[in-house]
Amino acid sequence: MRLVMPRPARLVFGLLCLAWPSTILGQTSTDLPRPTGPLRGGEVAVTGSPRTDPLFFNYTSYEQNALRLARLRLLGEYRLPGRLALLGELRAENTEVDIPALFLRWRPSARAALHVQIGRIPPVIGAFGRRAYGPDNLVMGYPLAYQYLTSLRPDALPASVDDLFRMRGRGWRPSYPIGATTATPGLPLVSVFRGDTGVQVHWAAGRISVAGAVTLGSSARPRLRHASSGPGLSGRVAVQTPAGVTVGLSGSRGPWIDRTALDLVPAGTNDRADQTVIGIDGELARGRWILRSELWRSSFAVPTLSSSLVARTGFLEARYRFHPRWQAATRLDHLTFSTVRGSQFAGAPTPWDAPVWRVESVLGYRPARRLELRAGWQHNWRMGTRTRQRGFPAVQALFWF
Amino acid sequence: MLRASGLALIALLVSLSWAPQTTPGSLRGRVVLPEVPPSHDARPTVNALAGSTPDPVDRRHAVVYLDAVPRRAFEAVPTRRVRMDQVREQFVPRVLAITVGTVVEFPNNDVTFHNVMSLARSNAFDLGRYPRGQTRTVHFDTPGIVPIVCDIHTHMSAWVLVFSHPFFAVTDTAGRYTMAGVPPGTHTIKVWSELGQAPDRRVTVSPGAVVDADFRVERIVR
Repeated sequence: MRLVMPRPARLVFGLLCLAWPSTILGQTSTDLPRPTGPLRGGEVAVTGSPRTDPLFFNYTSYEQNALRLARLRLLGEYRLPGRLALLGELRAENTEVDIPALFLRWRPSARAALHVQIGRIPPVIGAFGRRAYGPDNLVMGYPLAYQYLTSLRPDALPASVDDLFRMRGRGWRPSYPIGATTATPGLPLVSVFRGDTGVQVHWAAGRISVAGAVTLGSSARPRLRHASSGPGLSGRVAVQTPAGVTVGLSGSRGPWIDRTALDLVPAGTNDRADQTVIGIDGELARGRWILRSELWRSSFAVPTLSSSLVARTGFLEARYRFHPRWQAATRLDHLTFSTVRGSQFAGAPTPWDAPVWRVESVLGYRPARRLELRAGWQHNWRMGTRTRQRGFPAVQALFWF
Repeated sequence: MLRASGLALIALLVSLSWAPQTTPGSLRGRVVLPEVPPSHDARPTVNALAGSTPDPVDRRHAVVYLDAVPRRAFEAVPTRRVRMDQVREQFVPRVLAITVGTVVEFPNNDVTFHNVMSLARSNAFDLGRYPRGQTRTVHFDTPGIVPIVCDIHTHMSAWVLVFSHPFFAVTDTAGRYTMAGVPPGTHTIKVWSELGQAPDRRVTVSPGAVVDADFRVERIVR
């Protein structure tokens, strides 16, 4: 008899088999019993800028300006019998309240560093998603890959390349002839501020960690409920070298277009509606320096267009702490798009969205262990038919508990 | 709770007539600490792909010390190298009592990086990030209570108490302590604990005598 498993199930099963004989975790170094009961934590972050953002450089898919944001995060973990734990997060950003994560974590073996998570889970891919908050984010803004809104939206599709060209640099409110007519924001390449629904397996052994997930959405479009075609697959492998370099390789493929929009696509077009993402991230932490970088390539298949729309982005950031209380950080960030041909721009190959550059520098001061005050400057350039730019002075107060 | 001012008072030297040839005495006893449920001070790992399992925090250690000592006790303070390890995302030991001039080694014996630092007014330092197998050191040259943290792991914390004289003792996990070489005379004995406060005691130590002094730490309700 032949065992037939769907591809996502094979992936999860394979990871489980791989992870089973994993690292043996030692006993505690003291004679104290393991703690039980709930864990609690949270963060308050207030970011302000005196300048408005009419070009929407810093707007997120939450429709909030990342540099004008009051954020409260409440985190909870309740440990259940049987190596189970229920984890959740409640987040309020200005007037928006959300539960971006709520899932069950199961540790099959007390001695193996293997975890299975089910529910609304955090993203697997990339490294920034796990350090997007508090002092782990070296500057005040977010990387373009995770925040900048492209002109693609999941519930409406361009009928032609010219429709795309008309929306270049208008990711805040793109509109297209096929699908929803209400105004909604476009998509970032990778969304880390909303959890996806699905199953996640993570295994770590020494300096290697492997994670994989089967979810309802894609990296750009996490979903709470099933509203598109097929599941999304994502995974990451990370290696930490003894020299202090951590390198991660991520990939994901999943549906990014809503079923409501796909149903309106004219007959005869292709049925591709996946987003495919490949990324590499690296971190070098040495002494008072932290150097980080991520590179991403995201390909959006659009049923009404003959070729996929590709976006490439990368950032390099560094932090130096020159005193226990004082530090400086800088991030250089770039987002660019593949070229397509339409009737506009004299038929010349033209990026389907406007490329963006961003530079941000921040000075931070820590009056207390869990309090950090920051001040800095962020400058953005958008290379459309004409270059438009905008600089933002900003301040931030972070408190975590 | 920290009673930093208590340690600062050590610097106010009380001139006692202590002849060095006098046979010193000893103090011993037990410090009873309030019951606290085990904890590892960790935050929920919602954003992480998996949760680490740090060791429980060992808060059972207190420090017993003389509040004022003869002038001669400050003249030849012994210095040494001691170690505060980083194992399973906790500092071991969690409480260290040293004399001024002591060098403390902070080896990293975890798989992950650590970043030992302190924002204390005296002895502030930042050892930066370093991986498993490496050791960084700090020279503590100012008396005081120094809270130690890891900048990466918010649940990791420890205490280093820096004295300008050698008359102190750290209790064991049962709360017992022994302080040898105590100069004869009447002394005020203080207790430091992160869990609360204990009333000071005045005891008289005769030459060669062993004096019992027990304490009960009461939890501070904020």
